[in-house]
Amino acid sequence: MPHVVAACSTCRQFTDGLVEFDVEADSVRRMIGELDRRFPGLGEHIERRMAIAIDGEIHQDAHGARLAADSEVYLIPRIGGG
Amino acid sequence: MSEVMDRPQTLNLKVVGTRPIRPDGADKVTGKATFGADFSMPGMLVGKIKRSPHAHARIVSIDTKKALALAGVKAVITAADFPDLASEEYEAGESAANLRDLALNCMARGKVLYDGHAVAAVAATSSSIADAALALITVTYDVLPHVIDVEAAMEAGAPVLHAHLFTEGLETKPDRPSNIAKRNELMRGDLEAGFAQAEVTVEGRYTTAAVHQGYIEPHACVAAFAPDGQCQVWSSSQGQFMVRTYCAKILGLEASNIRVTPTEIGGGFGGKTTVYLEPLALALSRQSGAPVKMVMTREEVFRATGPTSGAVIEVKLGAKRDGAITAARVVLKYQAGAFPGSPVGAGSMTALACYDVPNFSVTGFDVVTNSPKVAAYRAPGAPISAFGVESAMDDLARELGMDPIALRRKNAVRDGVKAAYGPTFRNIGYLETLEAIADHPHYKAPLGPNQGRGVAVGFWFNVGGESTAAVQVGEDGSAVVVTGNPDIGGSRASMAMMAAEVLGLPIEKVRPIVADTASIGFSMLTGGSRTTFATGMAVTQAAQKIVVDLKRRAAQIWDVPVEQVDWINGAAVCLDAAKADKGDLTLAALAAQSARTGGPIGAQVSLTAQGAGPGFGAHICDVEVDPETGHVTILRYTAAQDVGRAIHPAYVEGQIQGGVAQGIGWALNEEYVFDSEGRMENAGFLDYRVPVASDLPMIEPIIVEVANPRHPFGAKGVGEVPIVPPLAAVANAVRAAIGVRMTDLPLSPPKIRAVIDAR
Amino acid sequence: MSQIAYLAPTSADEAAAALIKGGATARVLSGGTDLLVQLRAGRLAPGLIVDVKRVPGAIGIRQEDGGFVIGASTPGMTIGEHAALEKAWPGVVEAVMLIGSTQIQGRASIAGNLCNASPAADSAPALIAARATCVIVGPSGRREAPVEAIGIAPGRTSLAKGEFVLEIRLPPRAARSADAYLRSIPRTEMDIAVVGAGVNLTLDADGVIADARVALGAVGPTVALAPDAGAAIIGTRLDEAALARLDDAARSACQPISDKRGTVDFRTKIAGVLARRAAAIAYGRARGRA
Repeated sequence: MPHVVAACSTCRQFTDGLVEFDVEADSVRRMIGELDRRFPGLGEHIERRMAIAIDGEIHQDAHGARLAADSEVYLIPRIGGG
Repeated sequence: MSEVMDRPQTLNLKVVGTRPIRPDGADKVTGKATFGADFSMPGMLVGKIKRSPHAHARIVSIDTKKALALAGVKAVITAADFPDLASEEYEAGESAANLRDLALNCMARGKVLYDGHAVAAVAATSSSIADAALALITVTYDVLPHVIDVEAAMEAGAPVLHAHLFTEGLETKPDRPSNIAKRNELMRGDLEAGFAQAEVTVEGRYTTAAVHQGYIEPHACVAAFAPDGQCQVWSSSQGQFMVRTYCAKILGLEASNIRVTPTEIGGGFGGKTTVYLEPLALALSRQSGAPVKMVMTREEVFRATGPTSGAVIEVKLGAKRDGAITAARVVLKYQAGAFPGSPVGAGSMTALACYDVPNFSVTGFDVVTNSPKVAAYRAPGAPISAFGVESAMDDLARELGMDPIALRRKNAVRDGVKAAYGPTFRNIGYLETLEAIADHPHYKAPLGPNQGRGVAVGFWFNVGGESTAAVQVGEDGSAVVVTGNPDIGGSRASMAMMAAEVLGLPIEKVRPIVADTASIGFSMLTGGSRTTFATGMAVTQAAQKIVVDLKRRAAQIWDVPVEQVDWINGAAVCLDAAKADKGDLTLAALAAQSARTGGPIGAQVSLTAQGAGPGFGAHICDVEVDPETGHVTILRYTAAQDVGRAIHPAYVEGQIQGGVAQGIGWALNEEYVFDSEGRMENAGFLDYRVPVASDLPMIEPIIVEVANPRHPFGAKGVGEVPIVPPLAAVANAVRAAIGVRMTDLPLSPPKIRAVIDAR
Repeated sequence: MSQIAYLAPTSADEAAAALIKGGATARVLSGGTDLLVQLRAGRLAPGLIVDVKRVPGAIGIRQEDGGFVIGASTPGMTIGEHAALEKAWPGVVEAVMLIGSTQIQGRASIAGNLCNASPAADSAPALIAARATCVIVGPSGRREAPVEAIGIAPGRTSLAKGEFVLEIRLPPRAARSADAYLRSIPRTEMDIAVVGAGVNLTLDADGVIADARVALGAVGPTVALAPDAGAAIIGTRLDEAALARLDDAARSACQPISDKRGTVDFRTKIAGVLARRAAAIAYGRARGRA
């Protein structure tokens, strides 16, 4: 199942310090749902403030993106450019 | 729809990669282009803003009676004319903005937080009446102590800007308010063990001053609030949809009732990804019943629009004698200005992005200060942290007796390596940029007395995001490409080129236009180096949909199966040899028959572009220092950058040169100077010193292309990477020239002369 | 509401009378490159603008009695294009040409530069070193005064009510004479001088400096002659020792302030550097003339 790493300090306040999880999900939408179930509030935090890198590619607002069984997922803060 | 193209087209391109003249060029060089300040409406009033003369004060009272009574004054507004918003984050720009902070920045409520903070605004029938009205507004202040220096603002006894701001990101929630809005941390491995393994360590403490984006066109807008509630805004902005959203939220209006048209823009660089004037102009128009025009003076731009952060950067690197870095510690303290939101997060994530470091810790502090609220500036946050890291890397190379490019190559990230900010890199061209500068004749050119050479590298993420594009084919076989992205870097030309390539049309037959919020579907603003990537993807897909449709129409006309039709060089070609006498059907021929084959020919695509490719740059800078005057001359500058694919090479080169020019100014002479009262002393281009043309040599860009497989032509974002390396490239060159490491920007002549005297 | 009246008199008397009548809010308009900027910035609110460019003699360059007479409102561009003036006074011309930028040069004038009385005025050091004088006209008629007498404090001149500068006069040029002007700015152009140095030299037949004048700008409340600096190099061929004495004397003559453009320490050191370099350039130019 996809391996998720929360690469930001703000997520840790929801996860009591935990930074890595295996999440049973085949899409980003389901992954967010599952994480929110485990750590209430994390789901909304991810949707508002985080970008998601799937196997090295950064996605923002990518609910429909598919996750493979061996996908590496990173939660990183959204980046604003200039 | 967010479909991925199978493979970028890179072969046999006829338009992409060439250098046609930009469609907006003639108007711009002859002064005909319509910028925000050029726009007029009948019955238009002039709007002006009353600004705080204090860096930090409570507003005791505002008396506007005399101003309202002045003949010719049609409206006077203060914060009382805006809803008092609850603190709420909303994403309309590129990252979530706290709406309450944004509204308070546009118009102060209860407190002023910087010299120049808006406290009231008027609309009058002439500029001089508006000025007179401002003078008649009496504001009583209770002046408070102020703090601007970032470390001073972090101290326990510092004047606190916001009574309800508690530091986020600490282990234990604090019980006292602070100016430190947030602390973030990025970690990997075991820092202590990493430094224990190091055979060599270097350390440095660096400072940068606040610098402004320096766009040549001040903010300008015209707003018209009709009695039926329909609003129109013309604005110099990087994002008309962003303007619409923010105005709706700040004024409590329905976004669907606001139509925003972007005017030609004279530079943005991130500074126009927010609003200052538009909500005020709308409020004034609502009250007066007439359109209102507001144009900032250059002084207002400096005093009241976002510069980027001044900062303190602390770096410690540990490495083995062979150059392999074992540990890195970076601490970043960034000014946010009056409200939280400095780019320290991005600065933290990019600080070590070029390096594969097994053990590191990057800590960042977002600190509010009594200075204008910071706004995005080209790769926000990254040039600052890169200045520290690249200076330390230069010292490390010297300490190891190693060539600076070789040191970077030794520790370089490459495909398959985990980025410092988390995900694994794929399809990056960093090593290629290092090779490009190592092989360039510049690197081996001899140097004379008082001359020195510096090398530095840089990184930026680049973003994707939502874009809409519509392509319409005219009855004469020409095409119009409509997008919602203001053109700040030549993207408009690139849109036309990509459509022309797919349709098989010459570029002269494709006209790009940037439409208003009612005339094109939603697009995220122009910024983050996203437009050529994301909007280009939408344009290409729309053009491809049209090609599919054109083949269908040709098949219908020829009465053949559609599989027998191909689209080559702008015409439908019949593949059935038996029907070879058909001849090709050009786009023009098909357009002429469009009514019979299904109606007007056009397509629209809306997508959220994913898979934006990050960019890397490697720069070489040669300087000569006049030891008696401290004057630094940039002798030569070469900048290599991985751009994926240069759609229009001249505009890619322009983006590289422009970013370098801004980085050089940042390194040498630009800084905000505040007096003891917290007022900016150099709020004008006379004493805020951006480089003039004679200050710079021709900057030589080297375009490196490692295609991004997620873009139909392989493009990566270009505009932001080039400003990241120059601060350290210049500082490293000065170090080589004078033999002393200078750590505090800008490297202005008095500082250099003092260091040389002490040497 | 504020009204501004504008007059373009065609005689010196008319101009003087208008300035008297206009009182405290009357302002002279020469090229306007300082006046208009200050007006737009709200730093000035004149009630009457008296445009002196149509007064006979205000614009134009002529040679008279061996010297040059420059209409004080002559645009810098015109001064820069005058071959004979440039040949005799390269320092004065290069100084005037540094005011502002190419666009500003289309209008900027010596009168304006001197009467704006900024201690950083670029034309002043070279003119003072050249022994230039101003012809001033006013209600009491004409008078002549050395350029250094015009600026008495930052932004203030010694001109009486109703007076304006009509002409700049440069004396006849002795043989083997040349001048030079240098300024220190953080960029390469379009800046206000942080330090300015004007040097004017006359050599004897053996190449020994017989006369030397050094004037410094932006290092005191007014642009002023530094007599000891000039004296330090008289009787020399500008050898290292002479240059060192010049450097010392120039530094001693400074009374700069620290502001956003430069510190006391920096300005003082640079005054010495520029005095030396300008002297070397003037010396080289003078040696090139038989």
